[in-house]
Amino acid sequence: MSLRDRVVRVTSQVLNLPAEVITEESSPRTVEGWDSLGHMNLMLALEEEFGVQFSDERIMQLLSVGAIVQALHELTGAGTGDA
Amino acid sequence: MERVSYAEAQALRDEQLAGLPPLRIVLLANIVVNPLVAFLRHAAYRLGFRGECRIGQYDNVLQTALGSEPGLLGPETDVVLVFLKLETLSWPLARALPGLTPAQLHAEQDRVKAYVGDVLAGIRRQTPATILWYGFEQPLYPALGIADAQRADGQLHTIDTLNAAVRTLLQAHAGAYWIDADTCLGRIGEKAYYDLRYWHLGKAPYSLAAVREIADEIFKYVRALKGRNKKVLVLDCDNVLWGGTIGEDGLEGIRLGQTHPGSGYREFQQEVLNLHSRGVVLALCSKNNEADVWEVFDRHPDMLLGRRHFATAQINWDDKATNLRRIASGLNLGLDSVVFIDDSEFEANLIRQLLPEVEVLRVPSDTGVEHRTLLASCGWFDTLTLSAEDRERGAAYQAEAERQRLRVASDDLETYYRSLEMVPEIRLADPLTIPRIAQLTQKTNQFNLTTRRYSDEEISRLAASDSADVIWLRLRDRFGDAGIVGVCILRYEDRRAIFDTLLLSCRVLGRGVEDAFVAYCLRRATSRGCELAVGEYRPTQKNGQVSDFYPRRGFAPLPGDGDGKRFSIELPANLEAPGFFARIESELVP
Repeated sequence: MSLRDRVVRVTSQVLNLPAEVITEESSPRTVEGWDSLGHMNLMLALEEEFGVQFSDERIMQLLSVGAIVQALHELTGAGTGDA
Repeated sequence: MERVSYAEAQALRDEQLAGLPPLRIVLLANIVVNPLVAFLRHAAYRLGFRGECRIGQYDNVLQTALGSEPGLLGPETDVVLVFLKLETLSWPLARALPGLTPAQLHAEQDRVKAYVGDVLAGIRRQTPATILWYGFEQPLYPALGIADAQRADGQLHTIDTLNAAVRTLLQAHAGAYWIDADTCLGRIGEKAYYDLRYWHLGKAPYSLAAVREIADEIFKYVRALKGRNKKVLVLDCDNVLWGGTIGEDGLEGIRLGQTHPGSGYREFQQEVLNLHSRGVVLALCSKNNEADVWEVFDRHPDMLLGRRHFATAQINWDDKATNLRRIASGLNLGLDSVVFIDDSEFEANLIRQLLPEVEVLRVPSDTGVEHRTLLASCGWFDTLTLSAEDRERGAAYQAEAERQRLRVASDDLETYYRSLEMVPEIRLADPLTIPRIAQLTQKTNQFNLTTRRYSDEEISRLAASDSADVIWLRLRDRFGDAGIVGVCILRYEDRRAIFDTLLLSCRVLGRGVEDAFVAYCLRRATSRGCELAVGEYRPTQKNGQVSDFYPRRGFAPLPGDGDGKRFSIELPANLEAPGFFARIESELVP
């Protein structure tokens, strides 16, 4: 499963929405339930899934699925085209 | 235990919980504890409940306790969790202690104690639910540095005093329990326990690891409350009680002793012995020649466990699923009361597959150093209280074995019953007996007509009520005192006595005491002016043996009863206690 697919799966599980509707542009503005608590739950679940820790500053910036995918690529050292 | 990821725990949807009985949890906190909810719901699900968690308004614990959120707390609530973090409750005591004058320090401590007392009393006014109170954590770096621990006005001593005061307040309320935060913290360590990023970003102080640990701890209480804790520990022998294989290594070759590599097994045996002292029933299940195993028990100088500690043993070459079934049925207990410990992956998987209701704990085959911690950390046997009955259960099971031998010697049942010289004692609940009565409602599964679980607090209320009687049964015989082993709760409505609860511990089944108990309860109902008694049978997976209890005692199906589970008998009823008791002690009827 690609990094992006794993992000989509976790986002779908945590925010309770179908994986099909999740895009790079999904964000607190477009997803009901992605409020401050939803954001904390999503960040905690992603950190656990990928075995990483975002800094407090980073947590405040990861406000779209696209931004999350990019940050995880950087943190896990995976290229953007990984399998 | 299996670990569920945070994403998976949150993905548990209501549809998956349909049909499960509810477990209503209310969280009151002055911090953000939302991540706990997903783990609580998942733990409830694994236990067979639909967890319904509701969170009181953030940092409004006292207001909520005093009634600012009507409908949040009520008679249906099962558990109230209270998280008061000292940082939010008292910044001076948590973070600014060095600047306080002695007078300020005392005033602030008094304020916190009064706040806790008001919260507790307020919750109790609104609900009889079990209250679980998460204590204050000790600071990791005390406010006065290394001098702190030397001083009565230090932060360590101050927080100790506060925690002691909270515990005293909790003990004054029935059904209110303390969860030691520092124990949870210590198990996983400071760095893993706090997540300072989310503390600053969202007032959520605990890491996922901490939240998991806290949820696990909470569910030790819930398991006990709901009667889902375990009662029997079944142990394999080779590489569990000692290192090596007795059949191959011989008495001199097995590893067991005061020093490595035998010391891990010796510490484990002590832990098993401690569980025995807490009322856990022990059994052996080992593929060995029986004589080899008993030789270790009889002759090895470092054996802490003796034959006398085991209620039963299956030492043979049959498969372990068959042997576990034999052990459970011989003890009159269900397989879901059983924890099985083995080092073999094959045996562990076999039992998980064939007997999924048994909890399996697998220990390493090649070393005993982890054995003790693996057993101590599981919490499967934990009970909310330790009654005198718990502490004497080991002896009770030995007495049962003697009774069985006598039974074989007696020709007929009546002669056997008479030879036991049984003395049932039947009386009304009082403060001394309430905890044991509540405990029996929480853990009795087989001889339990309605399986209604009650907390100490709820039993207290019923016992004090004019429209109910809480009646207990104690049984003694020539072999010993079984303690309080039966409970009947009668509710009175319009000259009717309704058997809300009727249960008997499996330790005294098959001795005719239920007939004496019911006869006396019916007399009590008659003396209270009732003209009809109504018995109810609520089927569960485990109480099939009492499905025809009432019809067999002359109760008739209640007219107009839809599902045929309610039965009635006119009072005074023509039901006598059997004549084979030495005497019956009771003051139920004037």
